[in-house]
Amino acid sequence: MAINQAMCGTYKKEITVGIHFWLDHTRTGSSGISADTFKIAMFTSSRTDANEDLTAYTTTNEVSGTAYTAGGAALGSVTLGLGDNSSSVPTAYLDFADTTWSTSTITGARCAVIYNSTLNTAGTGATVNHAAYPSVCVLDFGADKSSSAGDFTIQYPANDANNALIRIA
Amino acid sequence: MFEANGEGDLGSVKVFTSSNGGHSPETMADMAMNKIMVINEKAPPPIRDQAVAYRNNVRNVILYYLTEMAKTERTTIWALLRQQGHDDMAEIIRRL
Repeated sequence: MAINQAMCGTYKKEITVGIHFWLDHTRTGSSGISADTFKIAMFTSSRTDANEDLTAYTTTNEVSGTAYTAGGAALGSVTLGLGDNSSSVPTAYLDFADTTWSTSTITGARCAVIYNSTLNTAGTGATVNHAAYPSVCVLDFGADKSSSAGDFTIQYPANDANNALIRIA
Repeated sequence: MFEANGEGDLGSVKVFTSSNGGHSPETMADMAMNKIMVINEKAPPPIRDQAVAYRNNVRNVILYYLTEMAKTERTTIWALLRQQGHDDMAEIIRRL
């Protein structure tokens, strides 16, 4: 399949059973639960399995270059909001600080994958399992993007119920 | 419904890149406006036009102060380099 912007199917299943922790939280009978680290990694146009069927981050066709480390960058300033969208549907939404690779030379980035880097080994032996580095979603840049001795910035959408990057309505 | 913003919509995230330098104040102003104000393309034309005009005014204010910020930051770097005895490098910064 081709590169396609989408939330990964396995992620929908995994959040339903509570595998991913975007933020610190508590649960009755449990002590505080710490947030996982989520990262965003970029890939070239050769990464044709970057679509809704992607299950995990792997290094295949990941971009390389000055100031870019394999695995990508951690998402910072994670916030969770709740509000009605324009259809008056209560919507939970996640936002992050923009990601910038400063003073970088990165060539041919065509898409990105957000994934859970805390889960660095596969979870097995349960009713619902997950791969190592399970993926959240694929972001399609629409064209190859490059920086040359400059800055490479991914800007996430406005933080609201209608525009935020990850929304549950 | 679970959705990644604008599934299949290429505008959901925006990518800004630069060569031989950082982002320009104009680019940074555009990035700021993307966060501050989103105009619904389906809004009635008179309201949308008014929103676009307001957006442009806000962008111009942000652009002005971002440009001034870049200048004043260079002044700080220029002064620091001079204090350290790097007059030649300070001059390069001053001429930016």
